[in-house]
Amino acid sequence: MIDPGGPAGLGQEKSGPGEPEVSWLRPSPLLLRARRIEVAGVTVPAAIIGGLAGQVASAAVGIAIAAAMVIAGLLAERFLARRVASWEYAERNDDLMVRRGVLIRRLSVIPYGRMQFIDVTAGPLERALGLATLRMHTAAAASDARIPGLESGAAAALRDQLAALGEAQAAGL
Amino acid sequence: MTGPGPAGSPASGPLPDRPLPAASALVREASWHRLHPLSPLVRAGRQMMSLLVVLIGIAVLNQHQDGNLVADLVVIVAALVGGFVSWLVTRWQIADGVLRIDTGLLRRESRRFPLSQVQAVDVVQTGLARLLGLAELQLRIAGGDSARGGRLACLKLADAEQLRKQLLALAAVPAGGLAPPATRPAYDAEAVLGPAGQPAARTLFRVRASRILVAILLTRSGATGLVVAVATWLTAQFTGSAGVVAPFLPVAFGVAARLFRQFNGEYGTTVALAQDGIRLRSGLVQTTAETIRPGRIQAVRLVEPLIWRPLGWCRLEVDVAGARQRSEDRTEGQRLRALIPVGTRAEADLLLAELLASPPLPSQRPPSRVRWKAPLSYHFLSWSGDGRYVVAARGRACRQTTWVPLEKVQSIRWVQGPLQRWLGLATVHLDVAGKRVGVKIEDRDSAEALEILRALPDLARAARSRAS
Repeated sequence: MIDPGGPAGLGQEKSGPGEPEVSWLRPSPLLLRARRIEVAGVTVPAAIIGGLAGQVASAAVGIAIAAAMVIAGLLAERFLARRVASWEYAERNDDLMVRRGVLIRRLSVIPYGRMQFIDVTAGPLERALGLATLRMHTAAAASDARIPGLESGAAAALRDQLAALGEAQAAGL
Repeated sequence: MTGPGPAGSPASGPLPDRPLPAASALVREASWHRLHPLSPLVRAGRQMMSLLVVLIGIAVLNQHQDGNLVADLVVIVAALVGGFVSWLVTRWQIADGVLRIDTGLLRRESRRFPLSQVQAVDVVQTGLARLLGLAELQLRIAGGDSARGGRLACLKLADAEQLRKQLLALAAVPAGGLAPPATRPAYDAEAVLGPAGQPAARTLFRVRASRILVAILLTRSGATGLVVAVATWLTAQFTGSAGVVAPFLPVAFGVAARLFRQFNGEYGTTVALAQDGIRLRSGLVQTTAETIRPGRIQAVRLVEPLIWRPLGWCRLEVDVAGARQRSEDRTEGQRLRALIPVGTRAEADLLLAELLASPPLPSQRPPSRVRWKAPLSYHFLSWSGDGRYVVAARGRACRQTTWVPLEKVQSIRWVQGPLQRWLGLATVHLDVAGKRVGVKIEDRDSAEALEILRALPDLARAARSRAS
């Protein structure tokens, strides 16, 4: 049986797993703006095209379709806002913890020594806002640790820091 | 094993000179070698055979039209010349613990394989290669399926065996900065060294051919094959004409080929424990001899399908990082290597004890409210763990028990779906390198899952530092 290491203090069960003494960091608030722009970029054209197409039948149908699109977009925005808010990461002494998810909650623990390589990517929208996504890869295909919406300077700094820690603690397969 | 500082002359090179017999003069350090001249023929193997059959058929049918025959000959000659050129431009060497393979005429390619990262070495012989006394040597290196490992096709069988030994000996030498393979009690040199100091392989398991036959018929593909065969026969019986079954034939042929591949792959599986790792031999027509280096096993899985259970049979598989090559299709590439294709629990337990030092058995049951979430798989769900291994059992129709050494754990994930949250449950995944096999500690009480999540990283770190 695995005995729980350290003093028992498993609070915060409501807000997800983790240890209270760990300081959790969040992605930049700009990430929410990026997601909102993405949603708007889909919703507005969809509403316009749907509305115009509905106009062929009658004006009421067109307005109803456009309204439905807008409502769907707003719902998606609410959901994404919660998802963005749930994204957190914490650097511990020997590993990185990333937790995320609203419906399905996930918490990944990746030991620094297990990192094979680190990706920093930024799409056009992310670049415009000065954001980047950091992704850590281990030898296991299933491990997933992704931190989106880091300010690009912070992402590069975190990447270098993780790479240095990974090198210091590297372990063979 | 001879240590890194043997009594040999210091002039014999920077690497420990295991007393390799004279045959190994062939693989002297840093000199270039070619593959066997007949290797293009073997590599083209299967395609060549079918091509030849087709061509002969065409030639026989068109006996009076000489033009076609000439065209066919041109195709064959072109293929042979291509093969010869590829042989001519391919060469390999071993230097500084790195295997280097250069190939390509127009697009030169030079690939280097650090031997310290080798996970396993396979010697594969296709049917044609066996006729010619050749063998293919494959290195399995960790890292993605696309970055395929090294492959030397083909060498003379004796040379391939010799080279395998030499590669493994070189691989066991830790290169700078790389973690040496974990040593486990099961691989103690004293335990496997013969009286003369010669490495002696200790046979642990040998599969029975009759049992494989029955076992394959009792799997899904085997059952499909039976159904197809019976359907074909019945149709022929009722209609009274053999021509009616013609549409069945392609399907029947495909199923039969698949069954034969499985049978061929598992026939005569022999597991032996040697000093340089676990030796695995199998095959009827195409034979494979694998050597898995000690401490390179990422996971061990015991599979007990529903139909086999009354017979007391099971299957024991191991997962090694690095994809196997020459797999016929994707699903086969994803399949794990079976140490025991089919065997009794007693045989599996014996082998398990050799692979893992006193492995824990899954004993801790999940809370009974898991019945609401997983009414079927609740029956076998359980897990257990100690400072070295974590084990978990799952599956109802096909019970799977997976062991993972803690020092192999790459990352740990805690996952909770909506239904699990409502029931106060959570799942903890342990990921290892390899083929998406890992331990899934499924549906534990939230508090217990958190406890596991808290404790495991530290235990895994301790196990890692013990191993290195």
